[in-house]
Amino acid sequence: MARREGIQGLTDQEVVALARSGAETAYRELVRRYERPIFSLVYRMVRDRELAEDLSQETFIKALNALDSYRPEYKFSSWIFKIANNAAIDQLRRRELDTLSLEGSPHAATPDAVEATALQIGSRGESALDAVASIELGGEIEKAIAQLRPEYRSCILLRHVEGYAYEEIAQILDLPLGTVKTYIHRARHELRRALEHLRQ
Amino acid sequence: MTSPSGAHLAFDDFDVLLSGDAESPLHAPAEAHLSGCNHCRAELAAQSTLIARLESLPFFSPSLAFSDLVLQRVALPDPFALRSLATSRKRLLASRRALVTVSVVLCAVLGTMAASVIWTLANPDAVSSVGTWAGDTASQWLWVALRGGFANIVEQPWLGTAQAWFATPLRLALLSLGITLIYVGGLFALRRLMALPRAGAAHA
Repeated sequence: MARREGIQGLTDQEVVALARSGAETAYRELVRRYERPIFSLVYRMVRDRELAEDLSQETFIKALNALDSYRPEYKFSSWIFKIANNAAIDQLRRRELDTLSLEGSPHAATPDAVEATALQIGSRGESALDAVASIELGGEIEKAIAQLRPEYRSCILLRHVEGYAYEEIAQILDLPLGTVKTYIHRARHELRRALEHLRQ
Repeated sequence: MTSPSGAHLAFDDFDVLLSGDAESPLHAPAEAHLSGCNHCRAELAAQSTLIARLESLPFFSPSLAFSDLVLQRVALPDPFALRSLATSRKRLLASRRALVTVSVVLCAVLGTMAASVIWTLANPDAVSSVGTWAGDTASQWLWVALRGGFANIVEQPWLGTAQAWFATPLRLALLSLGITLIYVGGLFALRRLMALPRAGAAHA
């Protein structure tokens, strides 16, 4: 237990170094730190829980199996988000998913499958009432995000949900800084337009 | 940086105001513009509301088995192998003398391999004749060994008795049956020996 608490206090780079030396707890710690952010990004990108889970798993497997190729001068979070975003974009290119369903996956064929693929709201320490409110408010905004182009969606999620700086987003998405700013500007504009009816 | 027309604030100006970065050189002019521009004030309020809503979006959780499923498919490095590799590397590179020895051995091995490849490529006829000579010699030795072996068996006194044993089909069939029974019995015994102990087996 003491060892686990010790690991939790380490930086990503230090945990990666431990993992490279063969410590399984370090691998678990990396998964623990990033499973929710990565899964949330991928889920909002592909809008299918089962698929998002598969893609998130692939992301971690790819990253953790390639830890030797990770360069510590870059942020680990940027590196793993890059892998996750590429996986999600590749998937979207292969398969068109155009409607977000808070009730369940559009590909679910049975009521059980619908329930199993329904969005499950996690908590950021909010009360039960706050959670209900965030479901109602989040429902509209999730639909609006779902209508954005995948490139805009990645940018807006990385900026305002994950809290990355423009430079980091440019690095993650392999885009020029100016393009990232343009995408975020357009995404905000489209989101406001999509949510306009709520203000009226 | 205000918009080219100078009429309203640009994206970067709004971003500075939204992030509250008072250190930015864009901040003061943007604030000044804002005090006299209703349009930009409304725009700032709308962007601020949108960003607050985006930032309040919850994180989603994957299934509880997520971490285990991932780690099942990750090839964890063996710490003992890594440690012994690191120790060997450390020993080999510990002193200048060790480093020189390793370099000389490495150069000798690589040099010999390279010289061998070059000589082979430069002398295809010699390689071919050596190959032919080696093949002929090997087949001669094999033939002599076979002849010697057969001659030895033929001269053995027990050969006549053994031939008499196999003379009738009945005896041959009995012998085959006996050998088969011994083989099957051996397999059965081996299977018993290899079987995992049942639950509840006494500990030593």
